[in-house]
Amino acid sequence: MNRRDFCIRSATAAAGALLGQTALSPAARAADLVWLSTQLRPIEEASKVRQVILKGAPVQPVYVVDEPAPFTVRLEAELKTNHHTTSLIGALHGELQPLAPIGGLAPLDDLAARLKDRGIPDKLMALGRFGTAHQLYIPWMQATYFMAANRKALPYLPAGADINALTYDQLGHWAANIAAKTGRRMLGFPAGPKGLMHRFFEGFLYPSYTGGVVTPFRSPEAAAMWEKFAAMWKSVNPNSTNYNFMQEPLLTGDVWIGFDHVARLLDALTHMPDQFVTFPAPAGPKGRAYMPVIAGLAIPTGAPDPKGAAALIEYLTQPATQITTAREVGFFPVVNAKLPADLSPGLKLAVSAINATQSAHDALPSLLPLGLGAKGGEFDKVFLDTFQLIVLRGGKPAAVLDRQAAVLRKLMVEAAAPCWAPDAPSTGACPVL
Amino acid sequence: MTLRRGIFLSGVATLCAWTLVPIWLIALGAVGGRAAVDSWPKSFWPGSASFATLGSFLAIDGVWTATLTSLEVAVLCMIFSILLGAPAGYALARYSFRGATAYRLLILLTRAFPVGILALPLTVSFIRLGLYDTPVGVALIHAALALPFAVLVSASLFQGIPRELEEAAWVFGCSRPRAFLRVVVPLALPGIAATAIFAFVISWNEVFAASVLTVRHRTLTAYLLAVLSESPLHVQFAGGLMLIVPSVVFIFLVRKHLFSMWGIANR
Repeated sequence: MNRRDFCIRSATAAAGALLGQTALSPAARAADLVWLSTQLRPIEEASKVRQVILKGAPVQPVYVVDEPAPFTVRLEAELKTNHHTTSLIGALHGELQPLAPIGGLAPLDDLAARLKDRGIPDKLMALGRFGTAHQLYIPWMQATYFMAANRKALPYLPAGADINALTYDQLGHWAANIAAKTGRRMLGFPAGPKGLMHRFFEGFLYPSYTGGVVTPFRSPEAAAMWEKFAAMWKSVNPNSTNYNFMQEPLLTGDVWIGFDHVARLLDALTHMPDQFVTFPAPAGPKGRAYMPVIAGLAIPTGAPDPKGAAALIEYLTQPATQITTAREVGFFPVVNAKLPADLSPGLKLAVSAINATQSAHDALPSLLPLGLGAKGGEFDKVFLDTFQLIVLRGGKPAAVLDRQAAVLRKLMVEAAAPCWAPDAPSTGACPVL
Repeated sequence: MTLRRGIFLSGVATLCAWTLVPIWLIALGAVGGRAAVDSWPKSFWPGSASFATLGSFLAIDGVWTATLTSLEVAVLCMIFSILLGAPAGYALARYSFRGATAYRLLILLTRAFPVGILALPLTVSFIRLGLYDTPVGVALIHAALALPFAVLVSASLFQGIPRELEEAAWVFGCSRPRAFLRVVVPLALPGIAATAIFAFVISWNEVFAASVLTVRHRTLTAYLLAVLSESPLHVQFAGGLMLIVPSVVFIFLVRKHLFSMWGIANR
């Protein structure tokens, strides 16, 4: 054997060894149940799931987290090839929805019947049917958005304003007061690239002013609302377009008043509970709109271990597990479970704001976008673009709304999505008037 | 002369500060914990250093398995892209064939399509080929991403090596492959090493393909670092430091070869 041959042979041998070694490893652990989740992704939360929440579970799953985009791609690909690795999936209502029409979710009717005694509200269970006859996911946890304010901001509250029954006008005055007296713009919104600002428009601002989201998109009320919001933005911290999680600017003192998802405020509340107050989002002329967030548990069609997954769902929806989940990661029970009195002060702040939101006399629940399937991202973009054009670039609301309404109308027709609450029910695609 | 020396030294100092100050600030955030990150004005010296945040990283379930997978994928990607890229580069440099220019452009096309668009068909075919959830599969995708660079850099490397040296070797009785292995490769080795490092880095940092194509066998980036941006700031700093330190050490070790790649070698 000459030297060249030797080189080639040893190279192929080495490559073969590497390939052989790596090709073997997946089979070794094939028996494990994989739980894929788009929720509880951050490192500490995922560790808590693995080490605390799953302690005492009947089956120990491999907990894998995925961003929403790879999550959908993976499940679609596994469905197409009928090669399934995942037995249990946990995701937001809106992330599970695109899987329902393509037959990606196994019906869970038996399981739903077994879980009757958990006391999951009918309204939540109905969401898990996506308008079909079958239960396609079991509600897992819920959350919502609210506001938090540094106590330093309280002296500037406008006279006569009740912080738990604030209106958008009062919020604007409050922020303007602070800006006038301190010279700093201390109201903040999560309008950064990874922030959830679109939910503020879809679930809070629009329904509060117009009583809907899609149908009254370009109504005169909407134009007046954008006008007011643009005026309020003059007292909003200009760094808002960089904020993704409001807990950070609240902790550093960059802003005093902020709006965000509970999971994105909790870090500030748990670390400085004495420093902050929490309260519901403001109300507009049509009520105090808020968007409940629902995460569900589902079993993909063809899952390798549906029995184990069902056992896990039963475990995760037990009142005790739900309370542990609330304690550890700040997502709240969907079942009839009384939260204990010894919650940490930060969690108590969150619970009180959520309770105040849900029980407000003018509360107006506004659902997550329904039936948009893969178009959900484009729907969000309509609202973010409108915000950019009117508020950040100073466009005329009426003109911008006319243009964006055309985009929205096309999108709704393409998705053939009927209206969802609080828009009035429609036959066929939800109209943009 | 002293003025020139002064300008030279201040230039050096500026460049050092340019790279070192951000690293220092990240390190401060990583060891200072939550208080140091949230406080303002920032102090330039750590008040109290604690390695708790850094330590908690190493204690996360599965972090070591993911690191190993990452290494495995990156090394495989390195091997694939050199084995495929260097010969392609040699061909581009030494032979004139029809469509050589078009071929160069075609190579770049692999980077023209975002992985996000190709994700579904890719995943479907990987499942069918049995490459789904294996390090080899991820390494293949990463090699495809690293190949344009590997081919074009090695082509210019081989172009820089005088053809006469090779011809002299043939005259003295070397076969073409032997002349390539004994004359050209040793001269090109530093550049090939740099290409390999680049392939390694591409693979190490890639998130999307790595997370779509795997379930249990996640690379470190897909397992952990993709979600780092959703963690509190001090955790982000700690994670950032954990990422920077290995690469700084690595670059420090191979700096001689990197210099020779850019032709400033003291050969």
